[in-house]
Amino acid sequence: MDMICFEDVTFAYEKENMVLDHLSFSIKEGEQVGLIGANGAGKSTLMKAMLGLISYEGHIYVDGQEVKPQNYAAVRKTLGYVLQDSDNQMFMPTVFEDMIFGPVNYGMSREEAEKRVEETLARMGLLHLKNRHNYKLSGGEKRMAAIATILAMEPKGMLMDEPSTALDPRNRRRLIEVLNELPVTKLIATHDLDLVLETCDRVLLLDDGKIVADGAAGEILRDKELLERHNLELPFCLAGVRIK
Amino acid sequence: MNKTEKALREIQAMDELAAMDSPIHRLAPLAKLLVTVAYIFVTVSFSKYDMTGLLIMILYPVAGYQFSLIPVYTCFYKLRIVLPLVCAVGIFNPFFDRGIVMTLGTISVSGGVISMLTLLMKGVFCLMASFLLVATTSIEEICHALRQFHVPRILTSLLLLTWRYVSLLLEQVSIMTQSYHLRAPGQKGIHVSAWGSFLGQLILRSMDRAAALYESMELRGFHGDFYYAGQKKMTAASWMYMVVWIGLFILMRAYNLPQILGSLFV
Repeated sequence: MDMICFEDVTFAYEKENMVLDHLSFSIKEGEQVGLIGANGAGKSTLMKAMLGLISYEGHIYVDGQEVKPQNYAAVRKTLGYVLQDSDNQMFMPTVFEDMIFGPVNYGMSREEAEKRVEETLARMGLLHLKNRHNYKLSGGEKRMAAIATILAMEPKGMLMDEPSTALDPRNRRRLIEVLNELPVTKLIATHDLDLVLETCDRVLLLDDGKIVADGAAGEILRDKELLERHNLELPFCLAGVRIK
Repeated sequence: MNKTEKALREIQAMDELAAMDSPIHRLAPLAKLLVTVAYIFVTVSFSKYDMTGLLIMILYPVAGYQFSLIPVYTCFYKLRIVLPLVCAVGIFNPFFDRGIVMTLGTISVSGGVISMLTLLMKGVFCLMASFLLVATTSIEEICHALRQFHVPRILTSLLLLTWRYVSLLLEQVSIMTQSYHLRAPGQKGIHVSAWGSFLGQLILRSMDRAAALYESMELRGFHGDFYYAGQKKMTAASWMYMVVWIGLFILMRAYNLPQILGSLFV
């Protein structure tokens, strides 16, 4: 079954400047998809469209439900969204309060939500952050905590916008492990092609609002010519980077 | 740390105060809110010459600070900008109201002086009580209590978001000021030629961030209700706190307790 389905989706901030240009594709339940593309390719906009944060033309279906105002709550419960900037995601005073915010709003009892928060923090190795104030967290800690706030909602699918930004190598490694352990559909928009290679089976390459390549991660991320044509480069692990 | 950053830290420190643990912190937000509203209502209802009657109202803030483990100093320090304004409210009363209402030994005291002091006391007491509420209750809990009190959702959301956006605005000011000074060494403040663009950028950036933050709240199911802040229920202790204090306030207002106590000894 399709978890996400785009049918001829178009979006433009200004008429002559298409951000999403007649996009059609689908993502099956349980698929791990990397969404790659140069800056301004439309990755974040595509994710926002799926959550009803922007008005577009065409149809988008999430878990069989069309994305329209009366379904927003259900769609947003189904798809967790990790924002590009963690500061915008963490608005409660402490990590614990931030994590409990979503589950309780979606009708879970406080006791159950607290249990789930504990489990999520333990799984991510972040229990020590539980009662920390958000403004006292480092950039990397904030990033991991922001991801944890979405994981605590146990969504069926996750949209992640640049999840590895601001993470040190150790936290990045932990993030990759967590992502690989998660049995949910994932769409990861990122420039970190090494992360895509380690976590995704499939890649969508977006350029100028169009999908210019859709296929196995191993194939697309090895295609140097294709990547360079769309202002990207081979992942470091495949590029044979020369050390000075 | 620049001035804006300091202001930001002070706002954020309020959340830390509200997260402390004390008998007052553990009470239901609704009980604390109602007691504070009742206190303010009773305090401002004293007549302008009833200074002795008003004096007993200090009992609530003093007991509140004692039991909440928050030093009174913190309140006065945080309110240092507002307090002079409160003190200035009745400053001209002695010039307009010169009728003698009492004598202390050989010193005659005019109605203007008494009303000035009464206004000052009312202002300080109300500020102390309000600060006690915000320092022992998080903004989400206050909004939740207001919702229980049937205050419209739009107003509670507005209150919550204003509180959160003040921090965002200050954060943006801090980032932009820092960035400006790094490229304008030796300059004091922002040069007048940059004021327009600085302010414009500040508004645009703050609006962007505010929109992103609200989107993030919406995506996690926020629609103006504060379910996540409702874990502190009206326990027996909360009921007792509310009934005892409101009863005392009525008693303090109906009878001039300091005068009655004084008459016992004179």
